[in-house]
Amino acid sequence: METQRISFGLFFRHFLILIILIVFLFPIYWMITTSFKSSEDILTRPPKFVFEPTLDNYRFAFEEADFTKFIRNTIIVAGLSTILVVTFGSIASYSFARWNPGDGHIMFFILTTRMMPAIAVIMPFFLIFRDLGKTDIGNRFYLGLDQPGALVVAYTVFNLPFAIWLMHSFFQDIPMELEDSARLDGYSRLQVFFRVVLPLAAPGIAVTAIFSLLFAWNEFLFAFVLTRDDARTITVGVSSFQTQQGILWGPLTAAAVVCVVPMLVVALFLQRYMVRGLTFGAVRG
Amino acid sequence: MLKLDSVTKRFGKTVAVQQLTLDCAINEFVVIFGPAGAGKSTTLRLIAGIIKPSEGDIYLHGHALTGVPPENRNMSMVFENYALYSHLTVYDNLAFPLRAHKVKSQEIKQRVQDMAEVLQIAPFLQRRPGFLSGGQRQRVALGRALIRDADVYLLDEPISHLDAKLRHRMRGELKAICAKKEATVMHVTHDYREAMALSDRIAVINMGRLMQFGTPDEIFHYPQNEFVASFVGEPPMSFLDVAYIEEGGKAAFQVEGSDIRLTIGDHEKSAIKQRVLPKQFRVGVRAKEITVAYEPDTTHTIPTEVYVIETLGHRNIVTTRIGADQIKVITSPDVKLKVRDTIYLDIQSGRYHLFGDGIAFCHPVRQSQQLAEEIGG
Repeated sequence: METQRISFGLFFRHFLILIILIVFLFPIYWMITTSFKSSEDILTRPPKFVFEPTLDNYRFAFEEADFTKFIRNTIIVAGLSTILVVTFGSIASYSFARWNPGDGHIMFFILTTRMMPAIAVIMPFFLIFRDLGKTDIGNRFYLGLDQPGALVVAYTVFNLPFAIWLMHSFFQDIPMELEDSARLDGYSRLQVFFRVVLPLAAPGIAVTAIFSLLFAWNEFLFAFVLTRDDARTITVGVSSFQTQQGILWGPLTAAAVVCVVPMLVVALFLQRYMVRGLTFGAVRG
Repeated sequence: MLKLDSVTKRFGKTVAVQQLTLDCAINEFVVIFGPAGAGKSTTLRLIAGIIKPSEGDIYLHGHALTGVPPENRNMSMVFENYALYSHLTVYDNLAFPLRAHKVKSQEIKQRVQDMAEVLQIAPFLQRRPGFLSGGQRQRVALGRALIRDADVYLLDEPISHLDAKLRHRMRGELKAICAKKEATVMHVTHDYREAMALSDRIAVINMGRLMQFGTPDEIFHYPQNEFVASFVGEPPMSFLDVAYIEEGGKAAFQVEGSDIRLTIGDHEKSAIKQRVLPKQFRVGVRAKEITVAYEPDTTHTIPTEVYVIETLGHRNIVTTRIGADQIKVITSPDVKLKVRDTIYLDIQSGRYHLFGDGIAFCHPVRQSQQLAEEIGG
């Protein structure tokens, strides 16, 4: 009797999970299948679940729409901005965690920079980069409009506050005694940071890197306004299939799949660093 | 060799360490002993350079350490909360300080092995600290501090979290290792036995102030003040508030709140004569100095009521009451006592400590000293 009741509860739970999964995963399923459909199959009603797969959409996206370039741009922009965010973010965040300069006011000020929506700053950004592009420095670092440097800077600026706040608690969790101990063991402050603090903060840094990468990868508004052709990123590329002649569903979904897959792989790879509690066992209690 | 010269440390308005002057000779084992919150750990951290003194200086080999960062002080420390590098294995934890000092990897291996043998952590060398018990972690922390040759070893309660049996063994090991290394050690503890067993000299501190600095023998037999007297010893010293009276030309101490008299001998008299009479006298007496009788006789004249009986196996510790004060005495386990029984104590002249306003006036006569006086007289 008892076992039956448990198995019914278990069944019910799994059934519920199944329903939820279907609701959430169906759009992704539909996106992937659509990307393999021919244009006739896409628009038929009722929708076809069984069809003859084709790679035409992918061919169109890469050959006609130059998606190779968009992907390359996105990798450069997302990768560089993530590296910058993690580098500056970890140093800043560590110093906030240990010395709290400005008694929390600077920390809060950093947060306030995230309180305005992106759309509010997009025009100033546009003007700044337009003018920067005309200077020598702007040219050397590709900071003009429709150049990748501009996006890298924009994403770094936008992600840094978030990264600093996210990593702050990870650094705070590292007991101060570990650093004191390492210094007494004979390591300089900088060596302690690299040999003790960074390894222990690795989960936090991994999480921050993932969020920063995801943001930069999926960002649309800045990329849409600040780029036209040379520096165009993948999200803007996807949107370009919404043409005046109508939406090109096939190439659009194919491009979307190409957009999603790399992030899935990265997230799966970094997941093992995301486990909390690397400092487990460092101190008593 | 290591010297603290009137060092003061303030955190905001709280004074953690106040005008502390200490010194530690080369190869000396100094124990800093005091209750929780006394400033023991702060003192170690000041010496290590983790925090800076608000006032005063610390000297090593005669040179002031002001401005010298911890990594250049050549000191080694065990932290009370272990501070193990949890991302490294036990092996790497032990090797960590050696690597900082560019020891060859072959030698590192040898030294880690040796240290692991001594501390009995060899089977766990490849584990991470998170997978060790508290006692094992504490031994790793101790090993990491002792593995390299430092000028001074700073040990903050390094064996206090071990279970009783292991602690006893580690106490012996620690003393042996330090003696073998000819180490200069500053050891912090709140355990009086540990302090007595390990130290060459003990610095008793309370509320950030040095109460007394001396050999275990001096601390135990000649406490300079009531605090040291009450804090050192097991069972703790019993105290009686007394008033100095003279009746019929004979001086005596009257126990406050009763008409019990304690005799004053020549030993105490001469101590009292040398100084100004204090506002308040207190008599402190250790359990082993009191003899007990179950019927009153000529010497056992102080009637007390049994309050608590603690059995320790080889002896019993009996707490008795005189008025509001409690007196602890040692009795043989063969004598059966009950709570509320009346027993008779003898607190003789020359067997008790006398304090005036918290400061020691005189101490019991040492047995050997007593013997010499008897022979001489």
